[in-house]
Amino acid sequence: MKRFWHAREFSTVAILVAEVLFFTWYLWPEAGRDHSFVTKENFLLIFKYSSIYGIAAIGAAIVIISGGVDLSPGAVIALTTVVTGYCFVQLGWPLWASASAGIAVGALAGLVSAWLIVRVGLPAFIATLGVMGIWRGTAFIVTQARFFDLSAQLPANWHVVGVSIDWLGPIVMIGLAGVFQILTTQYQWGRGVFAVGGNETAALFSGIPVNRIKTSAYVLSGLLAAVSGVVLAIVQGQGKADLATGYELDIIASAVVGGASLAGGRGSVAGAVLGALIFGVLRNALVQIPGATFYDRLIVGVVVIVIVVMDQLLLRRQAKL
Amino acid sequence: MKRAVALLMAVGISAWACEGVGVEVGKEPAKRTLRFALIPKALDIPVFGYANVGAQRKARQIGGVEVIYHGPERADELKQKEILESFIAQKVDGIAISVLNADFLTSTIDRAIAAGIPVVTWDSDAPKSKRIAFYGVDDYKSGQIMGEEAARLLNGKGTIAFLTSAGANNLQRRLDGAKDALAKFPGIKIVDTFDIQEDSVKCAQFIATGTNRYPNLGAWISVGGWPVFTANALTPVDPKKTKFISFDTNPPAPDLLKAGKVQVLLGQKYFGWGSESVRLLHEIVNGKRPANPIIDSGVDVVTADNVEAYLKMWKTMEGGG
Repeated sequence: MKRFWHAREFSTVAILVAEVLFFTWYLWPEAGRDHSFVTKENFLLIFKYSSIYGIAAIGAAIVIISGGVDLSPGAVIALTTVVTGYCFVQLGWPLWASASAGIAVGALAGLVSAWLIVRVGLPAFIATLGVMGIWRGTAFIVTQARFFDLSAQLPANWHVVGVSIDWLGPIVMIGLAGVFQILTTQYQWGRGVFAVGGNETAALFSGIPVNRIKTSAYVLSGLLAAVSGVVLAIVQGQGKADLATGYELDIIASAVVGGASLAGGRGSVAGAVLGALIFGVLRNALVQIPGATFYDRLIVGVVVIVIVVMDQLLLRRQAKL
Repeated sequence: MKRAVALLMAVGISAWACEGVGVEVGKEPAKRTLRFALIPKALDIPVFGYANVGAQRKARQIGGVEVIYHGPERADELKQKEILESFIAQKVDGIAISVLNADFLTSTIDRAIAAGIPVVTWDSDAPKSKRIAFYGVDDYKSGQIMGEEAARLLNGKGTIAFLTSAGANNLQRRLDGAKDALAKFPGIKIVDTFDIQEDSVKCAQFIATGTNRYPNLGAWISVGGWPVFTANALTPVDPKKTKFISFDTNPPAPDLLKAGKVQVLLGQKYFGWGSESVRLLHEIVNGKRPANPIIDSGVDVVTADNVEAYLKMWKTMEGGG
């Protein structure tokens, strides 16, 4: 029980709860109106849009924990929507096959990043920056500035076993967060990811397959960004090259706010998803405040810095004890 | 816990900041205020700020109306959809939106209508949606005016390059109108169409590289205002050789016209986008629908001959008059 209260994820949950409570109070409606923030529909909305970042943030967290960084998730998301849309609309493939093609392309994108970093020896920042341009450019070449309209061929107001398609993203995000939280904390591979990020040389001398661990981290990052892209293509119904432009920074920020240290060796998959939800709540609530629109980025920036600074102070205090 | 407190402080700062721009906390108005959402395509496009000025002025004139201006910080259709869905979840009393991608937002606009929230579009329409009205220019007709003005300046002979941003329905219609008008002049040849992706910096870059590539270009036609949003983008263009026709008349565009860098500007009813949208929504809420769903705002054709009179009118409008 004591371990739970000291877990990194607990403090992230506390921030999320505080944030929700704050906006519940701040957006309290005038007489005669329903609450506009605390509704089932609004919480679904927060989950639905947070899942685009949250699914990819799981991969970003794994890469960051392993001591790397991946700047390509936004471009991989866009490319995946395009590949899925191309296969589904242009080639007439079934949806599952089109989605599989999109996910395969995402895994391949991660493999290319891993090869450049592990085999060629490029710094992760440079390699993934280059790869980001390549995948975004490829998406534009495929679409020629047009888009693939999946929505025209998907059922309107689609429900799967009685559940609205809007829930697809949140369900996938929570499911994947659970799986990867267990894999990173309970399995040897996960311990290897932390060890490589904490001290690569020590991990090497301990017999940990450093290159394989790093490769797996980048492949998973590409794959999970692709899953996010597939969800986006299905739920939003479009495959378009300019989707998710600049989202890589929001995805990395989600992982960092969730406890991932850019120095490597520390972080949490569940924390990354909670980080995405913290930003999701902010994006949703700020829409409801007149005049807040120009403060969006400032507030997000302040939140990132405040949370990370407090985390550092907490860590130093724990180290002294 | 410390981080939770810090987050509350951060959000508190932002709340205070928002209060500075007009939010009142804890005050309950005597009668129910109507809340209208005004959604621009992007916050980084200067002309949309004037729509907000017009909307706030009209809200003050009507009384009992609050306008929430919120949009994506740059042209991001997914974020615009998220904002639109947030406003639907909040059950605002009306939504006025300039649509980034009509196909992408049609089903969401229809969902707002189904939820009993009146939607009007301004500047950029979603013609296939169930929106109640559209206020803006007839884009095709405006494009024709641009084409005719270019042909007049070139005496029916020469080369023309276009600047546009692919994907937006209104820009495509302007482009079609201009090309159709120019097709009547066999001596005029269209050499290129550049997609600047709603980015003023890219626009300046295309003008510079396009001028190098086509040194004897007769005229540029920009179907959006990106080149005239900055005084520097037109530096590479020699007005003795190349004429410039652009959409939009907001500062510093008239100065460029007075300096001879631009020959013709087409001005939209920027303030009217906001004020007419608020007026329309207020009437719809009170049971009065417009007789015609398409309300053509018309355009102001500004040349060296009438620029001073136009600037005088602009100052009055900008001051909220």
